[in-house]
Amino acid sequence: MSWFFTIFALAACLGAVAVVISQSVVRMAFWLVVSLGSVAGLFFLADADFIGAAQLLIYVGGTLVLLVFGIMLTASGPYMKIPASPAETVVAGLIGLMFLFMVFSTINDVDWNGSKDRIMAASGQTEKPAGFDDGSEGNTLRPLGFALLGVRPDVKDGAGYLLPFEIASVHLLVVLIGAAYLARAKRRQDVA
Amino acid sequence: MQPDLSSYLFIGAVLFVCGVICMATKRNAIGVLMGVELVLNGANVNFVAFSKYTALGLDGQVFSLFVIVLAAAEAAVALAIVLNFYNNHLTVDVDRGNKLKG
Amino acid sequence: MVGETLKFWLMIAWLLPLAGFVVEIFFGFYSKNPRHSKAAAWCAVGCIGIGFLCSANALRIWGNANDWCVLEVAEHSNAHADPAHSEETHDADKALADHDHSDADSAKGQTAYSGVIYTLGVFGSLEVTLDYYIDSLTLVMFTMVTLIATCIHLFAIGYMSDELTDEYVDHSAHTADGGHVHRPGRFYRFFAFMSLFCFAMLGLVLAGNIFQVFIFWELVGICSFLLIGFYTERKTASDAANKAFIMNRVGDFGFLIGLMVLWTFFGTFRFGDTVVDDQVVDQGLFSMVHRDNTGNLTREEFTGDVLITDTHGHVLTNEDGSNRQIPYYLMVVVGLGIFAGCVGKSAQFPLQTWLPDAMEGPTPVSALVHSATMVAAGVYLAGRFFPMFVQEVLLTIAYTGCITLFLAATIAMVATDIKKVLAYSTISQLGYMMLGIGVFGWAAGLFHLITHAFFKSLMFLCSGSVIYGCHHEQEMPKMGGLLWKMPITAFTMLVGVCAISGFWVPFGLEFSGYHSKDAIVASALAFNYANPAHFLLFLIPLLTAGITAFYMFRMWFYTFVGKPRDQHVHEHAHESPWVMTVPLVILAVFAWFCAYGGESGRLYLMLTGDEPAHVAAGVTAATAGGIVLPGHDAIHAVHGQAGTWALIAALSGALIAYVLYGTSVVNVEEMKRQLAGVHGFLANKWHFDELYDALFMKPAHKVAAFCAWFDGAVFDRILHSAAKATVIVSKWDRVFDENVVDGFVNLIASATQSVGTSLKVVQTGRLRQYVMFIVLGVVALFAVMFTTFPG
Repeated sequence: MSWFFTIFALAACLGAVAVVISQSVVRMAFWLVVSLGSVAGLFFLADADFIGAAQLLIYVGGTLVLLVFGIMLTASGPYMKIPASPAETVVAGLIGLMFLFMVFSTINDVDWNGSKDRIMAASGQTEKPAGFDDGSEGNTLRPLGFALLGVRPDVKDGAGYLLPFEIASVHLLVVLIGAAYLARAKRRQDVA
Repeated sequence: MQPDLSSYLFIGAVLFVCGVICMATKRNAIGVLMGVELVLNGANVNFVAFSKYTALGLDGQVFSLFVIVLAAAEAAVALAIVLNFYNNHLTVDVDRGNKLKG
Repeated sequence: MVGETLKFWLMIAWLLPLAGFVVEIFFGFYSKNPRHSKAAAWCAVGCIGIGFLCSANALRIWGNANDWCVLEVAEHSNAHADPAHSEETHDADKALADHDHSDADSAKGQTAYSGVIYTLGVFGSLEVTLDYYIDSLTLVMFTMVTLIATCIHLFAIGYMSDELTDEYVDHSAHTADGGHVHRPGRFYRFFAFMSLFCFAMLGLVLAGNIFQVFIFWELVGICSFLLIGFYTERKTASDAANKAFIMNRVGDFGFLIGLMVLWTFFGTFRFGDTVVDDQVVDQGLFSMVHRDNTGNLTREEFTGDVLITDTHGHVLTNEDGSNRQIPYYLMVVVGLGIFAGCVGKSAQFPLQTWLPDAMEGPTPVSALVHSATMVAAGVYLAGRFFPMFVQEVLLTIAYTGCITLFLAATIAMVATDIKKVLAYSTISQLGYMMLGIGVFGWAAGLFHLITHAFFKSLMFLCSGSVIYGCHHEQEMPKMGGLLWKMPITAFTMLVGVCAISGFWVPFGLEFSGYHSKDAIVASALAFNYANPAHFLLFLIPLLTAGITAFYMFRMWFYTFVGKPRDQHVHEHAHESPWVMTVPLVILAVFAWFCAYGGESGRLYLMLTGDEPAHVAAGVTAATAGGIVLPGHDAIHAVHGQAGTWALIAALSGALIAYVLYGTSVVNVEEMKRQLAGVHGFLANKWHFDELYDALFMKPAHKVAAFCAWFDGAVFDRILHSAAKATVIVSKWDRVFDENVVDGFVNLIASATQSVGTSLKVVQTGRLRQYVMFIVLGVVALFAVMFTTFPG
């Protein structure tokens, strides 16, 4: 288990770093696939089987294909590179390290278990919802489906996500139309 | 080493920072988009981790699900914009798009 | 049921002219040849003519319903007092009469009908309605008004025919540059106004409550205003219209006060009781005051207040159990108030000055409105409201009438305008009527009202015919010798003159004026015998009877006999067309014979059919030295004596007129010179216009001038200084605005701009830098947080 975790974690992090370092967009896309796929593995390890599947299907299978299409449509050459100036890269790296340091120190400073108990006390929950963090395999498909239909059998008096679900569906429709409108083939106008 | 909440958070932080640096350094518009995807994934890792290791429960997964969906939508629109940009400037260098300069 | 039927027929007669008015005023102009069409006139004639037929029919229905009991019963009660009757019949009649008196009411049957036409508004327990009150007086008035109006409408078709043109030249009206006024003819409008007037007058007669009377009272007033001012381009005409209207307002003010008192104390305006199935559902004014067998009002013993009773004479009580009553002085106020309205409308002293000026209207208007009907409305109302009058009010009426009749007659003696003579004669005769009513000759006053309406409308139409024949020449000194130029006019006029003078003719063919004027003089004489202190009330009418004959014959001689004084007028004079002469003949017949039979004649008996109950017996003095009012017996006892004296006076007056103007024995001009003072005084109408000018107009002008000065000097100054102050303040305000407020705003604006300019640099437009900024910002935020809240 922990071996799997270590491998996926390293792959995700190194893939991300490789995306940053790569100069070619196509390579960036490749490393991004590695990174996102590893994240999907992490999701499986965290008992989030449906999310992991969705990550693979939508991200790796959908979004990244979309990006590759974008690269192909806009690339003026097979190995197009638009280099940034070194100073910018250095500054960005420094700031990124500062940010990373800040987040790390924050994560270290927080007493996660204590805060978990406080939250449970405040929300009146005596124990975690059944089926989670009990060492067994994740089986989230059914509860997630109920939650998206507005029913929460796993949580006392819990409210579902029917309305956000509907909004998201409408949102997707709008985005579909908007994207089609924006990307449609226009008659090229003469540039004066 | 048994994974715990902090290790997930560290991974999320690394992904997030990488995404940010990617956004800040890539002049290629597609690269910037990839940075965004990384950032969103970092956040997703956090959500799933909280879902597993805290009292958040299923809510965290639902949130990450929405994030994935919205990221897909965002990618579609952003790509459409990039294509437009490309049609107008014949390049995808975001530094060329500085018409909003004060 | 009879009441409903009568109401139906009279409503038709009443409302037809209104329909005619609407048609004429709105559609009279839209014919093929609008300015030349006589359609409006025939419409008006048709409406009023049908109205006459309806009225006559209503009269017939009314009589049949009570078997003409009015004529019979009254005949008996009159007979025993008639001195002309022989002694043999006297006793028998007297026995019969007494019998009739005892159950007169049961024998008579119902003769007065009243009820509601339409409810205008309800205020708690009080309501304002349109009512009808139909008794013999109403019916006779209806018939008389519609008949005369029909004749006059017919006459007017001829008289107004010169309005049938697209361009009427008014020789009496001048434009600013001295030319004559040219305007389109207004034929249809004249007849529209006449129809409206008929509607108003008939409504006034039909009215069943005093408030309704007031409504139509004002309506006839406005019609009078419109008709007097018909030649509105003439300043004299518009002035006269204003004068008539304003003078009437003075009287109407009193009328309103009377109405208020009535409303306050009696709570109703109705005349008669509303009876449903023999039950009185709504008590009228007349039955609310009860008269005891002396003829005086029932009064509270100590306070002297007049008690308000129900129909059976039982005193009504308020909610707290006290008796309902009205102070006696307020009864006087009611009477005087209502009479003030009559004074205005009937042109009595001191409001008489508007009527002569009203002659500015077309002659048919003078005949209908200002002699026969509208001005008689005052007398009619005094007669209608008679049961509510107390002695003091009656005495006031009598003296007012007495002053008026003498005043007007003396002025008429010297007037030279033919219409003015008739106008003053009208005032004088109205004075007679008022006098008659005032001295308790209720029937006599109204009798004279009817006969006068006929002969005065006749004479006005004759004068109209003369004026028309002489091409609108009204001055008598320019006429003369017109007798054979226009014979029909002359002889019908002679009938009118004889009638107004009251000449006696054997075989019962006396002129109508003889009967009616005798009745008044006899009432005055009986009053004089009963109250010796008021002898003037008999002497002056008697003297004036002579004056009346004098000025009337003077007018006739002046106009129709003697040498033509103006050849031009004489040569062009001609007899009028048939539409004008036929009404003259009809009216002449009525003027002569309408009072046929005198006080046993049908007209008189019809009128007295619904005489107020206390009139017949007379009224004894309520207090020592109070006024005694003579009953029928007392009046009839002196009838022969009074009639003889009146006839002597009239004959001598006529004789003097003949000597002065019919022959050339006396030089009239010479006489006029010698009596210049008196003549001038009379010719200037007793200086009433100047007096009112000095009393009311001048002070009003003074006050107005003062107000104008005050307005200009004080108010305007205040306003001007306020305006100036405002200007100064606003100047300062502008300075403040421009420097302080604008400066502040500009400061903000420039500050914003400079901040924007300095921040502009940050907006590089480079996307990647923005990302850096965001990250930096987040890092900085966390750094601040960690340093501020460590741990």
